[in-house]
Amino acid sequence: MNINLKDALKYLLLAAVLIYPLFSFANEYFLHVMVLIMVYMVLAMGLNIVPGFCGLLDLGYVGFYGIGAYTAGLLTIHFGLSFWVIVPLAALNGAIWGILLGAPTLRLTGDYFAIVTFGFSELVVLFLTNEIWLTRGPLGLPGIDPVIIDFSWFSTLINPEWDWYWEFIGPQPYFYLGLFMVALVYVIMGRMEDSRLGRAWFAIREDSIAASSCGINLLTYKVIGFAISAAIGAVAGAFLARWTMFLSPDMFKFWESFLILCMVVLGGLGNFKGSLVGAAILIALGEVLRIILPALNLPTETRFLAYGLIMVLMMRFRPMGFFPSIATQSQKNPILIKLKKELGSS
Amino acid sequence: MFEQQLINGLTLGMIYALIAVGYTMVYGVIQLINFAHGEIFMLAAFLAVTFITVFGLPIYIVIIMTMGCCALIGVLLDIFAYRPLRQSPRLAALITAIGMSIFLQNLAMIIWGSRPKPFVQSALPPFLRTTALTVGDASISWLQLFIFGIASLLMIILFLIINKTRVGTAMRALSQNRTSAALMGINVNRVISFTFALGSSMGAVAGIMVAIYYNTLYPTMGYVAGVKAFAAAVLGGIGSVPGAMIGGIVLGIAEALGAGYISSLYRDGIAYAVMIAVIIFRPSGILGKSTLEKV
Repeated sequence: MNINLKDALKYLLLAAVLIYPLFSFANEYFLHVMVLIMVYMVLAMGLNIVPGFCGLLDLGYVGFYGIGAYTAGLLTIHFGLSFWVIVPLAALNGAIWGILLGAPTLRLTGDYFAIVTFGFSELVVLFLTNEIWLTRGPLGLPGIDPVIIDFSWFSTLINPEWDWYWEFIGPQPYFYLGLFMVALVYVIMGRMEDSRLGRAWFAIREDSIAASSCGINLLTYKVIGFAISAAIGAVAGAFLARWTMFLSPDMFKFWESFLILCMVVLGGLGNFKGSLVGAAILIALGEVLRIILPALNLPTETRFLAYGLIMVLMMRFRPMGFFPSIATQSQKNPILIKLKKELGSS
Repeated sequence: MFEQQLINGLTLGMIYALIAVGYTMVYGVIQLINFAHGEIFMLAAFLAVTFITVFGLPIYIVIIMTMGCCALIGVLLDIFAYRPLRQSPRLAALITAIGMSIFLQNLAMIIWGSRPKPFVQSALPPFLRTTALTVGDASISWLQLFIFGIASLLMIILFLIINKTRVGTAMRALSQNRTSAALMGINVNRVISFTFALGSSMGAVAGIMVAIYYNTLYPTMGYVAGVKAFAAAVLGGIGSVPGAMIGGIVLGIAEALGAGYISSLYRDGIAYAVMIAVIIFRPSGILGKSTLEKV
C-alpha cells in the first residue's frame, strides 16, 4: 500500500477541515461562510446536470431552490414536521415542478428553454412576494425551527434517564450536516455520471440527433435530468430554510441563478467536481468583495461585474472550465491529433 | 377606464415592439438570444440624460446622438463578445450573452449609481404632459402621441431598410442560410454588425422614451423591459420583424388590461405567463413559420 504525497496532502486537508469546527478558536463567521459554501456546492452540482450534462441553459434554477426552501419553511411552521421528513418532501415538490415545467418545454430548442426557466423563476418570486396569506410576502417567513435530532422515543425505552434529543444551535452542527449533504449529493452525482442515465445525457449534449437515432428518448432523459436537478436544488433550499430559520422572497432573485450558473461555468460545464471548486471560489470572492467594495464607495451589488466578466472570459478562453474532463483532455493526446490531421488531409 | 387602459397599453406596446425588433433581428441572423439588448436600452436612457446635463443639448439632437452611441455599443458587443464564439456551441454564446448583460448592468451601476433618477424635465417641451386628444373618457397626452408617432416612423424606416435595400436583402439571406449567403459574396460579419447596430439604435429610442414616459431611470430597468420585449418577440414569432411589432403591441395591451382588471401585483407576471404559454402551445408565435429542423 503506497500513498503518494499528493493523496496524503489531500487527506490531511480533509481531516483539517473536518476537525476545524471542534476547536475553540474556530471563528463563527468563518464557519458560517463555510456552510454557505456548502449550500452553493450542492446547488452548483445540481445545476450542472442541466447545462453541463444535457447542454441546456437553465436560467431559473433559483426557482427550485425557493420552492424547496418555502416548502420546508411552511411545513415546519404549520405542521412541525421533522427535518428528515421535510427533505424528501421538498425534493419531491421540486421534482414535480421540474417535470411540470420540463415536460412541455424541453421539446423545444435550448434558447426557448432558457427563457422559459427564467420566466418561471420570476413567477416563483412574484408568487412568494404577492401571496401574503401563504408566505407573508416581503415580510419574510421568520421563526422556522432549527434542525432537531430526536431519538428520545427510542432512548427512553431503554433507559428512562436517557434523553437523546439534540437541537442544532450555532454553526458547528450545521457544518457537519452540510458536509453530509455535500458528500451525499457528490456520491449521487458520481454514480449518475457513470450510469446509463449519465451516458444518455452526454450523448444528447454532444449530438442529439445521433443520440436519438441510437434509441435514446430525448424528451424523457431531458425531463429526468431537469427533475433531478430541481430536486437537488430543493434539498439545498430545505437545508437553507432550517439553517437560516428565516426566508424572504428577496433571497431567490435572478441574481442567485446567475451566481450559481457562474460557479458551474467557472468549475467547468459537465464537471461536477469542478462545481465544488467554483462554489468555494465565488463565495469566498463574494465575501472579500463585500468588504472591499464599500471601502471604494461602491454598492455591494457591483460584485456581479466581476462575475459577468468571469463568465464571458471563461466562455471565450476556457469553455470547458479549468479542469476539463478526461474526454476533453484526451483530445490533446499527440497521437490523436496526428491521426486527426492525417484523416483530415486524405 | 377601458379606453384609457387600451391607450396606455398601446403606448407601452409600441415601446416593447421597438425593443423586440432588436431581439428578433439578431436572432434571425445568428440564432442567438442577445440578453445584453435590454442593457443597451438602459444605457441609452443614461447616455441621453448625461448628454443633456453635461452638454446641454436639445432633446432631438440627444436622441440621434444616443442612437449612434448605442449602435456603436451594439457593434462592439458583437465584435468582442459574440464574434469569437461563432463556431462554438450555442450554449457558450448564450452564457456569454447573459454574462455581458450582467456586466453592462453593473458597469452602469458603478458609473451612474444604483438609485433611480428622474429624467431631466427642463429639456422637454412643457406641452408634452398636457392632453392632446380625448376619446370617450380617455385622454391621450402629447407624449403618448409623440411616442406613437416616432415608433411608427421608425418601424416604417426599418421595414423599408429590410425589404428595399441591399443590406436588408443580405440580412434576409443570412437568416435563411448563412453559408450560402457567404458563397453569394455577402460579407457575413459586416451584415451581422449592421444588424446589431440597427437593433441597438431602435432599442436606444425605446430606452429614452421609457425614461421620459415613466420619468425614471435605473440600472436594472433593462432587465425587466428586455425580458418583456423578448416575450413580445416570441409571441410574434421570433425571427419575424412584423411579428415582433404585433407581439409588442399585443403584449403591451395585455399587460395594461391585466394590471387594470386582474391584479396590478402580477403586472410583470402577465408577460412571463404569456411567454411561457406561447412557448408551450405555439412556439412559432403568431406570424412565425414552424420550420422543420434539418438533419
